[in-house]
Amino acid sequence: MLKRVFQFAVVVLGVFMLTACSEDEPDLIVTSFTDELQAPIDYFEELHDVKVDLQIIPTENYVNTLRPALESGSGAPDVFTGEIVYLKDWIEQDYWENLSQAPYNVDEWRSDYMEYVWDLGINSSGEVRAVSWQTTPGGIYYRRSIANEVLGTDDPQAIGELFSTMEGLMEVGEQMKASNYRLFPDEGSISPYTNGANPQPWVNDNDELVITDERLAYFDYAKELRDMQYTALAPAWSPAWYASFTGPISYNVGWDELDEDEDPSDQTEVFAVSLPTWGLHSVLKEEAQETAGDWAVTNGPTPYFQGGTWIGMYKDSENKDLAFEFIKMLVNDQEFLTDWVMETGDVLSYYPVMEGVAAGYSDEFLGGQNHYDFFIERAEEIDASTVTRYDQQIDELFGNQVSAYVEGNLTREEAIDEFYSQVVNAYPQITVPD
Amino acid sequence: MNKMKIARVIIYIFLIVLVIVCFIPFYMMIVNATRPNSEILRGFTLIPGDALLDNYDTLTSYMDVWTGFRNSLLVAVSVTVLNAYFSALTAFALVVYEFKWKNAIFVTFIVMMMVPGQLGLLGLYDLSETLGILDTYWPLIIPAIAAPFTVFFFRQFLITTMPISILEAGRIDGASEIGMFHRIVLPILMPAIATMGIFTFIGSWNNYLVPLVIIRTPRLFTLPVMMGALSGSPVAMNLGAMYLGIAISVVPIMVAFLFLSKYIISSITAGSVKG
Amino acid sequence: MKKNNRQAYLFIAPFVIVFLTFNIYPIFLTLYYSLTNYSGMGGIDQADFVGFNNYVRLFSDRYFYQAFFNTIRIWGLNFVVQMLIALGLALLFSDIRLKLKGIGLFRALFYLPNIITIASVALLFSILLDWNHGGLNQMMLSLGLIDRPINWLNSPVYAQSAVALIGAWMWFGNSFIVLLAGISGISKDFYEAALIDGATWLQSFKYITIPQLKPILLYVLITSIIGGLQIFDLPMLLTDGNGSPQGALNTMVLYLYNQAFKYNNFGYAATIAYGLFFITVAFSAITFRTMYRKQV
Repeated sequence: MLKRVFQFAVVVLGVFMLTACSEDEPDLIVTSFTDELQAPIDYFEELHDVKVDLQIIPTENYVNTLRPALESGSGAPDVFTGEIVYLKDWIEQDYWENLSQAPYNVDEWRSDYMEYVWDLGINSSGEVRAVSWQTTPGGIYYRRSIANEVLGTDDPQAIGELFSTMEGLMEVGEQMKASNYRLFPDEGSISPYTNGANPQPWVNDNDELVITDERLAYFDYAKELRDMQYTALAPAWSPAWYASFTGPISYNVGWDELDEDEDPSDQTEVFAVSLPTWGLHSVLKEEAQETAGDWAVTNGPTPYFQGGTWIGMYKDSENKDLAFEFIKMLVNDQEFLTDWVMETGDVLSYYPVMEGVAAGYSDEFLGGQNHYDFFIERAEEIDASTVTRYDQQIDELFGNQVSAYVEGNLTREEAIDEFYSQVVNAYPQITVPD
Repeated sequence: MNKMKIARVIIYIFLIVLVIVCFIPFYMMIVNATRPNSEILRGFTLIPGDALLDNYDTLTSYMDVWTGFRNSLLVAVSVTVLNAYFSALTAFALVVYEFKWKNAIFVTFIVMMMVPGQLGLLGLYDLSETLGILDTYWPLIIPAIAAPFTVFFFRQFLITTMPISILEAGRIDGASEIGMFHRIVLPILMPAIATMGIFTFIGSWNNYLVPLVIIRTPRLFTLPVMMGALSGSPVAMNLGAMYLGIAISVVPIMVAFLFLSKYIISSITAGSVKG
Repeated sequence: MKKNNRQAYLFIAPFVIVFLTFNIYPIFLTLYYSLTNYSGMGGIDQADFVGFNNYVRLFSDRYFYQAFFNTIRIWGLNFVVQMLIALGLALLFSDIRLKLKGIGLFRALFYLPNIITIASVALLFSILLDWNHGGLNQMMLSLGLIDRPINWLNSPVYAQSAVALIGAWMWFGNSFIVLLAGISGISKDFYEAALIDGATWLQSFKYITIPQLKPILLYVLITSIIGGLQIFDLPMLLTDGNGSPQGALNTMVLYLYNQAFKYNNFGYAATIAYGLFFITVAFSAITFRTMYRKQV
């Protein structure tokens, strides 16, 4: 009996080995952190009759997982994307192919792109290593029906007026609460406007952590939002957060803050959320179809931008021609990009398409609003010089301490001290304020 | 005697409650795997829903859990087979022959059994990079050839169960040494191989840290790494699909266990008492 | 007669080669890294030799101490709960007067959580323990056990307890089986003699069961310590992988992983690995000595 089990195991193993080897290999491997590129890939596969494999590695593991592959070359894809938060680091490494050289000569495209987007892909030797089709200014998306009911108007201009200061935001929060709505799903929606009031890089050229009063104000505004119950306690990217865009969600204040006579399993509905351009098609249009047409977008207290995907090809890819074709289609193909824009409402850094589309555009999801007018204007205000290679990790460490303070687990001073000490622990070369 | 009966009833009730507590998480997982996200967010029920297929579509549009299953099986079976075969071979040599450094090797085993696996993790990672076998299964499989604990266990087993005279009889009949290992020693070792095989298989199947460090290509992810990737993926916005993904990783193992449980449990007993 | 045979070298060759290459060499490589400021990228030759700086840092690193005490607390609670249940069950099932039936079935059922992939278990509990929409709060609310949801994973005490109890849930079945096997191995004569001498249940437990069970208890304790000090999957996947809430789930191996692969301090991570190693050896040695002090 045992012997047979053993033999069976060997046979199973052999079969698996065989099937594992006989799988058909794709012509091109693209690695990214969202499924956003699936549609372009489908289109590309049809166009060139090739098989392209999209490998998605979740954002939180993306750098950890991909960078060692790029360093060693084993398991490296042909084409891969990079987020703005580590872009600066990556263009200086030998990961992406130099696209300035022949036969790519992408420098010829330069004048067609928003300047800051193009420049972020250039390394210190003046070579273009990565390019992008996007521009990512942010704003506040809100529900028109709720605006009409509570604020008496749903006009983006008028709402933008109300949102133009922090006090104004809190004011709207109070009105929303009075009608059992919540201004934002979570406290994170306020963070763009605290740093946005005085944009500084996290770490300066002398490896010093830069802390501004504006940045620290995030602690206070987040606490105010929570204490005043202006948020729905639905953390960003959680199932509840997504659900808050489609209708009422259950709302639990928890702990002792609740009056005894209130029903703890109460429900509430969220009015607005801060998201950048890509939030429209990759979050709202995907997950909030039930409320399509009921949305609009307007400005917050300060301009800001968030995220942005750059793309390039691996320097040792064996399929460089095909890889470049794909990048070219995604970034520089007028026909494809026009279709893409019409389909998704994404805001491009590529003027030839934007100029054609922006005038007279109206987005059904946004109740007919032309959000290009709004976002293109915002994009001109973007100052990308504050991007550093530490942004992703330090943002995370900072956000964790803000929530510890908001939850009441630490005092403000304790949380800030803890933040400093965690930064030093992760990056011993950085000096922090005393 | 009556008191005994009452005590027995109380104990059985207690045991059944304990079983229920043990299985509630699995039951909630299975029920929620059949419910749409919106309902799960609203509340809890013990009655299955009807969104199983929708959840399955959501899950598989992003991640192929079955591939993870196959990958894990491939690795775990390879590890188990290599571990058993080469440990047996080594134990055989240690028991049957005299040679230089035999005792030194044996002492090294005992010491190495105390060393936590994490100690060599970073070195293994860099070694794999140097050898160009990062992002392959080799760094997960090959080390199974050298498993001191299994060798130790097999050695003890052989010393107590294998008469050397069998081998001498074989030699007189002109059998080769390796032939005797295959025809005589391996069958004698089978109960011990089964015992250690179960531990080795479960250990490899559940291993998360090493594949997490070694494997990058999502197509090659083993099940635990895939589960880890699930939590940061687009699937995470749909709780029903999340529960379903977890259920797929869990239920087949539960079913396999129910068939093999008698066997597995007697192995654990044997492993602890003799080991 | 044992035979002196050259083929023996051939037979142990695969083991020795793999052992030296994949076990011993990485351990020394790690030791070397722990003396450098290697980032983990671009090859070791770009790193500087820093002597024992990393070890000095380790001794004054409050995050390492935090990780150590977190690990001990989690393991301690896990072990106590696990052993209480396992020992209780083993005593019930081995009691000659009770004669409980269904041992096979209960053993299998209690053991089952142990074979489930820990990563799956962690993921399952990360959503079951969710504050707003997790199954546990929803169930307890609807049963009226609590009147407002508990934010399990946001409180250090609850989060550590959750990890400990999930561990106990996974492992008590295993300990139960091992202890039951140990108790069944104790000769019935002891108990019968004690019964004749008029010993109470508690006395025979204290003077027969426990001393006779010592080797098995030692086995359970040491395997549990070695496993417990290496806990990684649960804290990694139950919250955000950073040890949230407030570092309560920052365990030693999680800290090692994050320093190596998240912050690219490979050299320091190697030092943490050696710290973990010495702690494991120390704990095993202390356990061993305590358990056998009386005999020696």
